[in-house]
Amino acid sequence: MTAFTLNGEEVSVDADPATPLLWVIRERMGLTGTKYGCGVGACGACTVHLDGQPVPSCALPLEAAEGAQITTIEGLSKTGDHPVQQAWIEVDVPQCGYCQSGQIMATAAMIRDVPDPTDADIDAYLAGNLCRCGVYNRIRVAAKRAAEIARG
Amino acid sequence: MTITTSRRAFLASAAALTVPLALPAAAQMTETLSPEQARWPDSFLRIGEDGTITCILPTCEMGQGTHTGQAMILAEELGADLASVRIEMPRQPSDPYRLPFGQMRSVGSYGIRHFHDPMRRAAAQMRMMLMQAAADRLGVPEHALAAEGGRIVHPETGETIPFADLVGEARLLPVPAEPKLRPEAERTLTGTNVPRLDTPAKTRGEAIYAIDVTLPAMAYGAVRLAPVFGADVAAMDPASVQDMPGVIAVVQVPRGAVIVADSWWQARQAADALDITFTQTEHDMLDEATLQARIAEGLGRDDVPMTLTRGDPSATLEGAGTVVEADYAVPLLAHACMEPITCTAQATAGRTELWAGTQGHDWKRMMLERELGIPAEELFINTTYLGGGFGRKTWHHDAVQAVLASRSVGGRPVKVIWSREEDIAFGMYRQTMQARFRGAVDADGRITAMTVRVAGPQMGAAIVQENNMDPFSLLGLVDQPYAVPNYAVDHAVVDIPVPLSAWRAIATSFTGYWMESFVDELANAAGMDPLAFRLLNLPSDSRARPVLERAAAMAGWDDAPPEGVHRGISVVGSYGSMVAQVAEVALDGERVSVPRVFAAIDCGRAIHPGQVETQIQGSVIDALGPTLRAKITLEDGAAVQSNYTDYPLIRIDEAPSVAVEIVETGAPLGGVGEPGVPPLAGAVCNAVFAATGRRIRSLPLSDHGLA
Repeated sequence: MTAFTLNGEEVSVDADPATPLLWVIRERMGLTGTKYGCGVGACGACTVHLDGQPVPSCALPLEAAEGAQITTIEGLSKTGDHPVQQAWIEVDVPQCGYCQSGQIMATAAMIRDVPDPTDADIDAYLAGNLCRCGVYNRIRVAAKRAAEIARG
Repeated sequence: MTITTSRRAFLASAAALTVPLALPAAAQMTETLSPEQARWPDSFLRIGEDGTITCILPTCEMGQGTHTGQAMILAEELGADLASVRIEMPRQPSDPYRLPFGQMRSVGSYGIRHFHDPMRRAAAQMRMMLMQAAADRLGVPEHALAAEGGRIVHPETGETIPFADLVGEARLLPVPAEPKLRPEAERTLTGTNVPRLDTPAKTRGEAIYAIDVTLPAMAYGAVRLAPVFGADVAAMDPASVQDMPGVIAVVQVPRGAVIVADSWWQARQAADALDITFTQTEHDMLDEATLQARIAEGLGRDDVPMTLTRGDPSATLEGAGTVVEADYAVPLLAHACMEPITCTAQATAGRTELWAGTQGHDWKRMMLERELGIPAEELFINTTYLGGGFGRKTWHHDAVQAVLASRSVGGRPVKVIWSREEDIAFGMYRQTMQARFRGAVDADGRITAMTVRVAGPQMGAAIVQENNMDPFSLLGLVDQPYAVPNYAVDHAVVDIPVPLSAWRAIATSFTGYWMESFVDELANAAGMDPLAFRLLNLPSDSRARPVLERAAAMAGWDDAPPEGVHRGISVVGSYGSMVAQVAEVALDGERVSVPRVFAAIDCGRAIHPGQVETQIQGSVIDALGPTLRAKITLEDGAAVQSNYTDYPLIRIDEAPSVAVEIVETGAPLGGVGEPGVPPLAGAVCNAVFAATGRRIRSLPLSDHGLA
């Protein structure tokens, strides 16, 4: 049994401790907002927060989540209105949208660390998140706007 | 996720007003169709008594924003609220054997341009029926009424009737044969940047893609497929994995096996562990150098039928003063959609149901019928959002696997998900092609002659037209925009043992690069500025001129670029649109970066300018990956690359800032999803030439030590 906190709720899972957290979240917990993209931590589609830090859940064994606070896109805000989500809607960022949960989770972590991100900050924090539709121009605008909303 | 009603249930629905979508006149002319067949297959516009307006269309939402654009066109013509309009996909694909163009697939940047007129017509018919019903009820003439905001309004008295209240009466009226479209002045929704309808769900993780489908009692499937294209299973030992945790079944499928398990991770572990061997093929030893040498032989062949000839190019070239010759090449490319290939199936007696993010409903239906004997009336396809498509998701292999897997576990639903490695290594690539260009310019800088020999595979007998014309190989060459009085194009067909597929912008993804690089070579030979040379050689009425001039103006072409910045220009017409791009290139040592791109597009009337902008931005960034580094190469008959680690695509830190302007010239509607791709590689490589004097005649730039 592996016990951790998922989006504020304590859960325990009986699964092979080597199972990547991604598949536990998606199949056992039924939270499909976190996506499978590459399985090797190279595309960021599976980004969740582990104790507040953005991590690729496809490359994180379940046992590494023991006792941790895990947040997924579904738990980022109660009503889907986290500043990053607001900014994403305002700028109309997604195309296919498949990578966007990961982009949003990575951006949420960034603006908490860096309240007023520069282009270089955005490059550093978001380069791990691949977008095949290439909406980076809008992500850049929205990430700055999200920081602005968060600053109030 | 879009759940739709079956056609039968749809027609039988008594509480709705339904208007069929008619095929465009052009399609009707190519076939002799009965009135029933002349409807766009499966496509209807319906308003229910609850006021919900639903249009059933055979186009999926894979990121292009088509469903938002389509809803805008309908809402505007009908006078409805945008929020009340939904686009859905039919569950039972039409007979793909009889369709003229109206195949049930989402390809060719057709989503808006081909459905615009039929949708407007159907919406106008529905509006007129609702107005007639209101006129009858109010006892006023129809012309005294207006349709707006989902209501019929009588301005004189201020009376309003919601559409929903009129459905019962309107549905008994005849569908007007000659509907009156709204005048341009009333077209106030299209042309504006309304928020995309799918954005909120996509920012909350709520949008359901094929990989997210969850059904009661569902099991999971992972695949293990032969790495060599064309190989099949020689032997496998299910017992080798039967006792692994969670494993339910081991199912042989074409080219390999599906392992069905309680969870996908367990299935994947077992797939990796499965004791399986594959048949030998005659190309088990094929490597990239051999493949390219085989294609290169086609460049010199003398038995190739001419596809296009104008004037006397050979004689002109022989007598010309300045002749330029150059060979070009492009590699295989994978689509690498963010969402890997995945399909869920539930196969029971008399009913096979799929949950799929697919661009190719018709193809799935046809192949399930051919390969598994599933009759069309027993097949139901539920279409989800697609996590990218780019031409890859027209195919059927995942559906065949999922059906076979479901059958093997007594009809339990099975969700088959390919690993990224299987996804990239499987094939269905953009073709690798080579070309030999010869061209001459006169003393005034005019192109007097050009010949283009293409060597490489064709993309299927079904699409090859007269004179060996394969549009998937030669578009962008046979229709290049320059006035070349003596011109010839031919194609030496060289079959390659690699499964191929349409890749975003298909032929123009490479012919645009070739032609615009070679035209740059001719400009250089003529000693002319690349923009001035293009304008000199384009006909005065060419659609390429306004976009070229606009892109050049955006980039400040007439002024010298800042220190360390070098520019290249390119223009390519494709899918009914014309796009020009100026790329700015900087060099850090030998490493090329592309900080800015300026793009101008003429796509006719822009239905949603913001989505045109973001599609062009995305196309530029999509095309930049294979321009800089991405390629598929072969070794031992199989792909070398298998994940984003060795198939590197553009990240935000390398993404150029892309400025987009729309040039409206009164041209008919063009596509938007693909036309931004073709000009990019040429613009970048022309800038690299300006920077280094090196002409890059094959991609990617990393092969030349430049990325």
